[in-house]
Amino acid sequence: MINCLCVIQSGQSADQRRKQLTQAMNEFAVSRLGDTLAINWLPVSAGNGFTEGKPSSSSVVSLTAREPLDQAQREILLRELVQLWTAHTGSSDHEIVAVIADPTQH
Amino acid sequence: MPLYLCNTKRDQLDGQAKQRIAHDITQIHCDVTGAPAKFVHVMFFEDAAHLPLEGKALRVRGSIRKGRSDDQKARIAAAIRSSLARHGKVVTEQADAVIQETPASWVLEGGEIMPEPGEEAAWLEAQAARGQAPAGR
Repeated sequence: MINCLCVIQSGQSADQRRKQLTQAMNEFAVSRLGDTLAINWLPVSAGNGFTEGKPSSSSVVSLTAREPLDQAQREILLRELVQLWTAHTGSSDHEIVAVIADPTQH
Repeated sequence: MPLYLCNTKRDQLDGQAKQRIAHDITQIHCDVTGAPAKFVHVMFFEDAAHLPLEGKALRVRGSIRKGRSDDQKARIAAAIRSSLARHGKVVTEQADAVIQETPASWVLEGGEIMPEPGEEAAWLEAQAARGQAPAGR
């Protein structure tokens, strides 16, 4: 299993579509990273998220690859992950922070 | 990125205290690193199992871009602990902050790979040229 942390805005689209996101992200993970995800959802209640010290609607999806990735491959996967997220939530890519870490760091 | 996740005991902070801590953390990070404020995310949780409190009343886990010095990281953590204690109305020993590093190249934000520390201006200019604002704007 690949560990994945999803920090989402409580009650917003990503929260309401967890089931679809889980399925889509698992398909992504199996096809592109070779394993399913163990997703930890961390909802942010209204008024509890800030960017630049101001209320924010940002979400974070962070996962750790099974094997170290070269940067070209990582960037392709990050873009696919963000595209998947925007397609399912209606968020813009400016509302998403995506991280794909190598296994050595975490 | 940076991303500061603040976990607390239930009802430890009211909304005003969270706003003040978010402002402090943003200011602290920018003062110490020179990074743009628009990069700084702060999120609050209560009794989040994924963010262990380790016996504290308030605890921040900060993920920042790799490349800062040990002194910078220590200054950030110390200043955040002070802010948590002040606004959380606890003694400093009941507040904690830990800083982790993530390579900028591992992070996609605002539709682009994050810049290395010190290369923010060019990144922001490229964003502006694309006619787009970073997250939270």
